[in-house]
Amino acid sequence: MSGQILLWQVILLTIYSMYQIIDDLTFISSLAQPVWAGLITGAIMGNMTQGLIIGGSLQLTVLGVGTFGGASKIDANSGTILATAFSISSGMNAQTAVAAIGVPVASLMIETDVLGRFTNTFFQHRVDKMIEEENYRGFERNYLYGTIPWALSRGIPVFIALQFGGGLVAQIVKVLNTQMVWLSNGLATAGALLPAVGFAILLRYLPVKKHFAYLILGFTLTALLSTVFTNIQSLGTGLASVAKGFTNSFSAMPMVAISLIGFALALNAYKQEVGKLPASHSTAAAPKNDDGDGEINGDED
Amino acid sequence: MATKTNYKLTKKDFRQMNRRNLFMNQLGWNYEKMQGSGYLFIMLPQLRKLYGDHTPELKQAMRVQDQFFNTNPYLNTMIQGVDLALEEKEGVNSLATVVGLKNGLMGPTAAIGDTIFASLIPAIIGAIAANMAVQGNASGLFIWLAVNLAIMYFRWRQLAFAYKGGITLVTKLQGQMNALTNAATLLGVYVVGALVASLINVNIPFVAHIGKMTINLQDHLDMIMPKLIPGLAVWLIYWMLGRKRMTSTRAIFIVIIVAVVCSALGLLGKAA
Repeated sequence: MSGQILLWQVILLTIYSMYQIIDDLTFISSLAQPVWAGLITGAIMGNMTQGLIIGGSLQLTVLGVGTFGGASKIDANSGTILATAFSISSGMNAQTAVAAIGVPVASLMIETDVLGRFTNTFFQHRVDKMIEEENYRGFERNYLYGTIPWALSRGIPVFIALQFGGGLVAQIVKVLNTQMVWLSNGLATAGALLPAVGFAILLRYLPVKKHFAYLILGFTLTALLSTVFTNIQSLGTGLASVAKGFTNSFSAMPMVAISLIGFALALNAYKQEVGKLPASHSTAAAPKNDDGDGEINGDED
Repeated sequence: MATKTNYKLTKKDFRQMNRRNLFMNQLGWNYEKMQGSGYLFIMLPQLRKLYGDHTPELKQAMRVQDQFFNTNPYLNTMIQGVDLALEEKEGVNSLATVVGLKNGLMGPTAAIGDTIFASLIPAIIGAIAANMAVQGNASGLFIWLAVNLAIMYFRWRQLAFAYKGGITLVTKLQGQMNALTNAATLLGVYVVGALVASLINVNIPFVAHIGKMTINLQDHLDMIMPKLIPGLAVWLIYWMLGRKRMTSTRAIFIVIIVAVVCSALGLLGKAA
């Protein structure tokens, strides 16, 4: 069944792709995030683990990417849908699928996002007209019509790619697995390195200079502990294979625990700063506000 | 001068606005007025009650509220709550103030909201969820869903809060908000440091053979500082993003090309 995606799968995935953009605009439940896109696409395609891996990898790539001021962002959600669907249907390696399908699709979809936002201007003009005509129902109707360009901006490209792209992807996978193994390995390496971009973008939005010590702390603590945990795990696996009596198993490093240390530090900083606030902060609040804003915005360029 | 109808907003009005905000905000988003029509859509039933249908006042208010508006979609109803408190008290006379308020508050609100809700929380929770996901564990996804449901509750409550407190509360809270932002960014920077060390799985597979001696470069690097390569990679990309004409999308493609080339040369590989 190489390259085959069944019609009902195509339809379900198209519906999900349209749902997720509306979710992301309105109630923002997180179901529109790449990790969820991976899980849902994986469930529809019959391999949830593969979906989770691809969704997780793309999630890390776009960690710091947000939509600010109405700018279009790289659409990692649609990228995840296509990467997961094709990777499962054609047997492509997860990391390779992230770099070979996920990222190109995600960046191509910026164009359809722009198109959707542009098309909505048409309904804005009708909305303006309805206000002049005092047609309240008409106003609400035309406002809600905005859903159509939004949903189609994801639905049409995802449907076309899933329905007609399968053969092409199967062909690419065949070549990648035979003549061009070096490229396949390279794309897998790229997939493993891509989270670095997500973290770098995120740091661009954060006051790195101000909190630089905490960057070093988080990095070093985790680098050391992850080495220790990984080594203990491989030691345990090795020991278990030679000694039958050895049945202990060691867990991986818990990220939540590492985050809690950071949370403690943040809590401390918050309490210190609130303690410094004057008792009647209604008048003294204004100059303090400028300080805080400057620190955040100053690091963005 | 109050409005002609003397209408006072009730809990039911807030529920209606909150429903419209949670399920239908931003649907009309477009390049011309961005969230402008959405702002009006959320409060239209209340404006109709305040001014009365087919009155010149309502038309004036609708025109004003249909203008350009864009802010963080998590905190937008804060502004709408303050706005309605003013309009309820002063009617159309307040519209000049309302315009100033909307334009004055949307920038700072976007700055605070985007930093906390659109950047930090998704980054931290998303990283934890993604970290679990790449190991095949879906429970992080449900943590994220639960966090966002809690945020929805917060979004639901803030409208009435802003309406009651009006402008004074917004300014009073500023000090605490700044302390919160500072603490949140501290946590963000710390977590990113931790993520760099745990989630970028690349190493140097290059092994030098000098006579009978083999030198495994990665082993030597590990003695200096484990995870040095991921750290350096992030530092390089961070620097690259600061260059002129560099966008995040371009950076992603540059990283893919460099990774493929380095991998083909045996300089960079995916760690186990």
